[in-house]
Amino acid sequence: MAATDLAIELLRASVLAATPVLLAAVGGAYTYFANVFNIAMEGMMLIGAFTAVVGSYFARSWAVGLAAGVAGGLVAAALFVLFAVALRTDEFVTGTAINMLALGGTTYALRQMFGVRGAFMSSQIRALPRWDLPFGPVLGGHPFLVYMALVLTLLAEWHIRRTRFGMRLRAAGEDPKTLDAAGVSSSAMKAWSIMISGALCGLAGAYLSLGYVRLFSENMSNGRGWISLAAIILTRGRPLGILVMSLAFGLFDGMGMSLQGAGIPAQLTQMLPYVATLAALRIYSLRQKL
Amino acid sequence: MRKQHAVSAAAGVAVSLLAGLAILAIQGYPVWQSYAALFSYSLFSQFALVSTLNKASTLVLTGASAAVGFGSNCVNLGQPGQFLLGAMAATALGIFLDLPSWAMLPTVIVAAAVAGAVWSGLAAFMRLRWKMNEFITTLMLNFVADGVTLWLISGPMLDRKAYSPMTAMTNPGAWLGMWNGLSGAVAVAAAALAAVWVIWNRSKFGYECRVMGHNPGFAAAGGCGVARNFTWAMLLSGAIAGLAGGLMVTGGMQHRFVKGIGANYAWDGVMIAIVAGNSMSGTALYALFFAALQTGAMGMELETAVPSEFALVLQAIVVLFVVASRESTRLILAGLAAKLKARRAARMLEAPGEGGGRHGSGD
Amino acid sequence: MSTKISGPGVRMSSVVKVYPPDVLALDNVDICISPGSIHSIIGENGAGKSTLMKVLYGITQANAGHIEVGGKPVRFASPRQAVRAGIGMVHQELMLIPSYTVWENVVLGAEPVTYLGRVKGEAALARVGEIIERWGLKLDCSAIVGDLSISAQQKVEILKLLYRDVQVLIMDEPTAVLTPQETAELFVRLRALNSDGRTIIFISHRLSEVLDISDEITVMRRGRRVMTTPNRGLSRADLARAMVGRDVVFSAVREGDAALDSSQRPPQPSPPTVPPCLEVRGLSMTVRGRGRPVLDDVSLEVRGGEIVGIAGVEGNGQFELVQAITGAVKPDSGSILMSGQDVTGASVMSRRRLMCSVPQDRKLAGGAGAMSLVDNSIMTHHRLRPSLSSKLTPLLLPRACRDFCARLIAEYSVVASGPDAALSQLSGGNQQKVIVGREFSHDVDLVLLDNPTRGLDVGSSEFIHAQILKKRSEGKGCLLVSADLDELLSLCDRIIVMYEGRVAAEFAGSEADRDSVGRAMLGLGPGPGRGPESEGVTSGR
Repeated sequence: MAATDLAIELLRASVLAATPVLLAAVGGAYTYFANVFNIAMEGMMLIGAFTAVVGSYFARSWAVGLAAGVAGGLVAAALFVLFAVALRTDEFVTGTAINMLALGGTTYALRQMFGVRGAFMSSQIRALPRWDLPFGPVLGGHPFLVYMALVLTLLAEWHIRRTRFGMRLRAAGEDPKTLDAAGVSSSAMKAWSIMISGALCGLAGAYLSLGYVRLFSENMSNGRGWISLAAIILTRGRPLGILVMSLAFGLFDGMGMSLQGAGIPAQLTQMLPYVATLAALRIYSLRQKL
Repeated sequence: MRKQHAVSAAAGVAVSLLAGLAILAIQGYPVWQSYAALFSYSLFSQFALVSTLNKASTLVLTGASAAVGFGSNCVNLGQPGQFLLGAMAATALGIFLDLPSWAMLPTVIVAAAVAGAVWSGLAAFMRLRWKMNEFITTLMLNFVADGVTLWLISGPMLDRKAYSPMTAMTNPGAWLGMWNGLSGAVAVAAAALAAVWVIWNRSKFGYECRVMGHNPGFAAAGGCGVARNFTWAMLLSGAIAGLAGGLMVTGGMQHRFVKGIGANYAWDGVMIAIVAGNSMSGTALYALFFAALQTGAMGMELETAVPSEFALVLQAIVVLFVVASRESTRLILAGLAAKLKARRAARMLEAPGEGGGRHGSGD
Repeated sequence: MSTKISGPGVRMSSVVKVYPPDVLALDNVDICISPGSIHSIIGENGAGKSTLMKVLYGITQANAGHIEVGGKPVRFASPRQAVRAGIGMVHQELMLIPSYTVWENVVLGAEPVTYLGRVKGEAALARVGEIIERWGLKLDCSAIVGDLSISAQQKVEILKLLYRDVQVLIMDEPTAVLTPQETAELFVRLRALNSDGRTIIFISHRLSEVLDISDEITVMRRGRRVMTTPNRGLSRADLARAMVGRDVVFSAVREGDAALDSSQRPPQPSPPTVPPCLEVRGLSMTVRGRGRPVLDDVSLEVRGGEIVGIAGVEGNGQFELVQAITGAVKPDSGSILMSGQDVTGASVMSRRRLMCSVPQDRKLAGGAGAMSLVDNSIMTHHRLRPSLSSKLTPLLLPRACRDFCARLIAEYSVVASGPDAALSQLSGGNQQKVIVGREFSHDVDLVLLDNPTRGLDVGSSEFIHAQILKKRSEGKGCLLVSADLDELLSLCDRIIVMYEGRVAAEFAGSEADRDSVGRAMLGLGPGPGRGPESEGVTSGR
């Protein structure tokens, strides 16, 4: 009995932890297919988390918070487009700078707007509502963004595989000159993919700060953007694969929490998702050789 | 080439300082006072200059670490982890080792570099042996290093008398001296940078690394041992980052590993290498500039209450603008030149005598 | 299909195009293409043919000038607008997505979709199949394009234009990648399209082809139109003179119809007396994901004082052979000997003591564009030439490196502002001179050349050919891989033809001709068909 309870708790925690990684990675799948080296996901997520808190706090509405999160992600993405696509600055450089801008900017704005260092929490921040969907003990009763993430994943799979947009997107990634010669701007496709990624990272950010907590803390994305990137590379951008990968990472995250309960120091259990990512990369490299 | 670089860099820095000015103005801060404070507290007094140099000694090393990595086409983003392990190695040896002072400091400093190199070497091994992309492995190893050191300082190595996670102080034998506030770390960092400069710009290994950074295919075709160079470049990059961490403990005031010792030094170094275009002299210049911004920002906070984190924002803006202007100035200038030439060519047609037909015009 | 009897004509006047920063690619070009004609534009590399067509197709925009299509003034900001006006282009480097199927490539950019944006695959498939049927193109709609031969990929490009019902077809150097037999087949197809009423603009630098197919011919040189003339009573010499701007001896070499002046060729040493500088024995290699081996029991020899050519349609193992010889890849079996030493498992650097190598791709392996000429010229020498480094330390001597580079610039007449110039600031021909100079400065017995003049202007190609002949006269052995059959025919003492990873045939220089080498490149036997257009030749795959 207690064992099942524990298992259910673990799985619920996994789903919760998997969601932001899933959201960001699905967005990143678009940039992956457009062959954009999108290392700005970490920063876009962080900005989204911050603007979501700002929106939710000042408007006292989770909906405004969510919209503000997406808007924050989009602004960061627009910056990426401006530099990397329009001005042709190196993608790695642009992405790194945006990550740093996100880290510095949110820390700065945290002090400037709320006068605090480290973290900001307030009862005025409205969290995302939970949906009591009859999906059983593991899948029921999560913030609605969890379900939205699943729907978006399926949608993305269809969008990238089957539609005109997806066909051009993949062409832009594989051979931009060919797409240009066919009369479709490959730069525009890249820009679109970055914007989609920005919006989804914004959602992921909003989930972090308004999902199961109601606060913003410095660098709260804490490497989830990098893990999303790893998930994308491991699955070669297939959204359904990303879903599986995110759940796996979520499981390790959840396991970390459980192990902590078993007396292993928290500092060490928190490493688990990152070590798991390294292990996954190793397994992937094995498969590649065959 | 070099001149154009300098011009576009200056333009980029100027534009980003203006952008920073605009940000402050929008938020209603007294802009001129703030900027005056930014520079007077970083450059225009002995204390200010010393603080800037102390900070620069760390940044120049994390910057050089990133420059060696990126410049050799190794995407080593593991400076944060390598820095922490270097600091941890210096701390551990500083506490548990008691050698005569002439042997103590060199041992501790070399150990820090070795610890950093081990951590980056791990990523190099995973790349060469298992084809795991060093870009992601170094990032993941950062979190592992972070977890391990945090566990060490809050468990096994925790100083019981402290209120927050930190180790005990190291033996004084492992302390670098201070001269009027100027840390001995500055001298060590300068020497290290000079050595790296020579390796990078003058040695065969450095030449091959630079070629690898620009075009790995060319390096391979020319017979440079690409895998061997990759390994050594990763090790060197990690060693420099580890050294930066070690100097943080041996130099400075704390002489121990406190939580958050790495601050943002490693990522600042990444940005410095990027704006400097992986050149060693550029790295030194931008490290000084970033150090000045960071120390000056403290003064700015005192004077006009602008949060000192503003320096972080400004740095990122500088990176974007300088690098973007490097690319786009060239494109824009070339575009203008082309337009001019085209106009001249088209006008020649309207010159008298020519009807447009050029049949058989042999030259 | 169209109701027009003949496709529209095109008139371009006073077109100027400057590539940044200061390359005048088109200098007030006027050209008039009559409706329903086959109009050839010829000129050497860099004459502006492709640029003119890119302007017409809207890929790049002219700085000045006017374009009329079917009598109406037009201005194309993108290829999409050009297609709408009935103009389509098959590019020199084929513009196809390798992982997409034939039909996906054809509809890309003009996809039939449902209101949700889903691509209507069945509808597209049917439509594309119909066109394939109508024109007898013999293509599988669902095949992956990357798996097709070059000539089949070219058919896909033509299919793309037919799908968009284009009335003016621009063919940019379509024969550069084809064997003589495939070229003949292409011409049959172009004539069929032409008699259906479509205007065809055909770009080439091969005179015999142009004389064969065109109604009218325009000659371009250095960004200018030199002449336009109906194709009546013209000789190759006429065209060659107009094209190169001086007399024709050279153009005969390019055409490959006449062998080099015998005075230019040093007497060939009798083979047995000279030891081979390269021996390849039974080389085999497979690559994951490709069914048949990419190298299949390849054996060959190169002796001092001879130039051995490797011919073959792209993708028949030449690339892998070169990689195996340079040490970039390890063969599965077989051995490689240089000057008698077994180097099969040796590192690239240790091979470089015995050979030098001009790589196929300047940008990829020839140099680093952003680095200085000094840095580009000392590659490999930095380890093998003692004078460049200090005796006691692993440091290079900057002064010695500069001097070395300066000497190279002078010796190979490289046009550059100085040793500090970045490689990318130089023209393509001068970049290649730096690379050739660097490699030829190695005093080694084996010279490996992989398409050393691809994409170069006449002057630079000529210079490099002269350097190769000089190496031969010095008694070095040269292995020359080239996609340019004319280059091989004019330079080589022996030509080895590769087909599907095997040595398919070998010809002595004197007995090789375009037709027989071309047949061997397609894997056909030495058939009786000696004429330029033997009947019933198919692409073979």
